[in-house]
Amino acid sequence: MNGLGRILLVEDDPKDVELTLTALEEYNLANEVVVVGDGEQALDYLYRRGTFQTRTQDNPAVILLDLKLPKVDGLEVLQQVKADKELKVLPVVVLTSSREEKDMVKSYHLGVNAYVVKPVDFHEFVNGIKELGIFWAIINEPPPGSIRKQS
Amino acid sequence: MRLVAHVLAMTVMIASFVTQRSSPDILPLRNSARLRESTSTLYAPGSERLRSFLLVVRGRQATSLNPYMAPLIALSWPATRWIRAYGLAVVLVATALALGLIAETQGVDNLGFPLFMMAVAATVWHAGAGPGAAAVVLSILCFDYFFTTPHGSFYIEAADRPLFVVFALFELMIGWFASTRRRIEQDLRLARDKLGVDVAVRTEQARLLELTHDTIFVRDMNDVITYWNRGAEELYGWTPGQAVGKLAQQLLKTVFPIPSDEIRAELFRTERWEGELRKSKSDGTQVLVASRWSLRRNESGEPLAILETNNDISERKRDEERIRALNSDLKQRTIELEASNKELEAFAYSTSHDLRAPLRHLAGYTELLRKHASSVLDEKSRRYVTMLQESAKRMGELIDDLLTFSRIGRAETQNTLVSLGQLVREILSEFERETDGRSIVWRIGDLPSLHGDRAMLRLALINLISNAVKFTRTRPQAEIEIGCAKGGPGEVVVFVRDNGVGFDMKYVGKLFGVFQRLHSPETFEGTGIGLATVQRIAARHGGRAWAEGSVDGGATFFFAAPKP
Repeated sequence: MNGLGRILLVEDDPKDVELTLTALEEYNLANEVVVVGDGEQALDYLYRRGTFQTRTQDNPAVILLDLKLPKVDGLEVLQQVKADKELKVLPVVVLTSSREEKDMVKSYHLGVNAYVVKPVDFHEFVNGIKELGIFWAIINEPPPGSIRKQS
Repeated sequence: MRLVAHVLAMTVMIASFVTQRSSPDILPLRNSARLRESTSTLYAPGSERLRSFLLVVRGRQATSLNPYMAPLIALSWPATRWIRAYGLAVVLVATALALGLIAETQGVDNLGFPLFMMAVAATVWHAGAGPGAAAVVLSILCFDYFFTTPHGSFYIEAADRPLFVVFALFELMIGWFASTRRRIEQDLRLARDKLGVDVAVRTEQARLLELTHDTIFVRDMNDVITYWNRGAEELYGWTPGQAVGKLAQQLLKTVFPIPSDEIRAELFRTERWEGELRKSKSDGTQVLVASRWSLRRNESGEPLAILETNNDISERKRDEERIRALNSDLKQRTIELEASNKELEAFAYSTSHDLRAPLRHLAGYTELLRKHASSVLDEKSRRYVTMLQESAKRMGELIDDLLTFSRIGRAETQNTLVSLGQLVREILSEFERETDGRSIVWRIGDLPSLHGDRAMLRLALINLISNAVKFTRTRPQAEIEIGCAKGGPGEVVVFVRDNGVGFDMKYVGKLFGVFQRLHSPETFEGTGIGLATVQRIAARHGGRAWAEGSVDGGATFFFAAPKP
């Protein structure tokens, strides 16, 4: 098994954050998760600005991105990431409550790597998160520049 | 002498009476008298007179209608007429002769001379030229025989010859004058009668114009009103006395939709014009009229007058306006309704979307609680937790169905030719797992192809088939038939029939409503959105959905869409 990639979770709802982390923990995927509460912070993190000026150089293996976010919304974050020469190689998974076709179409047009609708049922949710975590943080070979904690 | 005068007068009276009763030649005169009578009383109420008038006008045979004219008609039989006419000549000449002879016995000489003249004149006057000539010949013979010397012989002495010649000449002249005079008189009478009929016809026409409630008026080429009927008075308020002589456009303040020169040009070209004009009544109110103009020209083709008929169409116009307003109102309302429908769908969507997050949290934390506290929870508490989870799950299903339902209204439809047979086969293969262990007889008929959105049609069929599967669950052997039914023209009808628990037709209207359920969730699970979705899909395809069934007698659901 490869090392564990860092996950950037962009989610404004603390309950969703907790449940997501719980799901990841269940499969020991949660030790390398960075959580930010809005789009602005996500961009700050990626560009190492503001509070994230001092973070380590390497990028996360995957970004789990909610769409409905305060300040800068998920689609805008996605757009900026995919428009950036260096960041566009980062896998972005939209993780949202919305099955809105418009959002889905737009996300794919912007170059999203996966689009996941959070299931209401907790078991399904946990399974989904687990599989996402395993796939993106373990199975998938991240682009160069992403860090991977050796297990 | 006195006696002679009396006898003379009596004779003339008798003669004139006899001729009046008998002479066929007076018939036209009597006819015209009757005609005058009939025309003068023509306009009294009663159609009988009008009818007889029209007969007079048409064939001048009104007399034949009148019973007491029958003897006169008998008299006009030619032989009788001839006998009467010549009889009159003989009678008058004989009377003149008798009177002349009587006068002579009384010592009055030469009275025969004027008496014969009178007899001839009277005969010509009343019986015409033929009998007149006979009277002349008879008179000359009588005069020759009785009044020239020698009396009692046709021989005339030389002394009396000039007298005889003068007499004969006078007789001829009188006969000639009288017949000429008579002819003139007759012509005059005929002309007068004809004129009378003409006048009667014209008057009648004029009165008919007067009778109508349609507005008719005539104006000359200087726009001066020359005729104004009752309808015009009723519509505009001016009496004929007030209107005639006025300038029409000034009086009525006519507003032309196009320049009046154009109207005039068309009138002169085609002799007529039609259009809508706005005019004013005497009380100042405006009225919209459908106006028709006809140009009248004289014999040499010069325009004389314009006849204009007007119909008040203000009311009709107002009705049209009202209908137009209602229509545009309806259109506006439809647009608003569509907009609010869209809004409602968007609202339903975002609501259910926003509801999902807390629901997910509820389900998640309940699950976490169950895991963490299962050891410390007693049986009852664990049941409560299970209930919480079940409720959360059910609410999740409801929201998902609602989302699907709301998406049907909003989604763009892809229009392709969809083979329903193939679609049904696909769906059935998916149902295999679900119906595993159940005894179901499927009867699939020939299914048509439809123009429509494949995903939507698929959803509709899934809903119908899953309903059939669900509601036959209590049957030891379920029978589900999918086929094509006869629909209206240009319509394809597909049905799904089952032998399940069915439903009461009383509630058929509720079946297709959102969240409408006829069974408790314990008996048959479901959210109550499936059939509403089916109907929605049918509507989006320009079709409809309906159902038939009975309690415990199975149900049939129909889905109709336009033929491809």
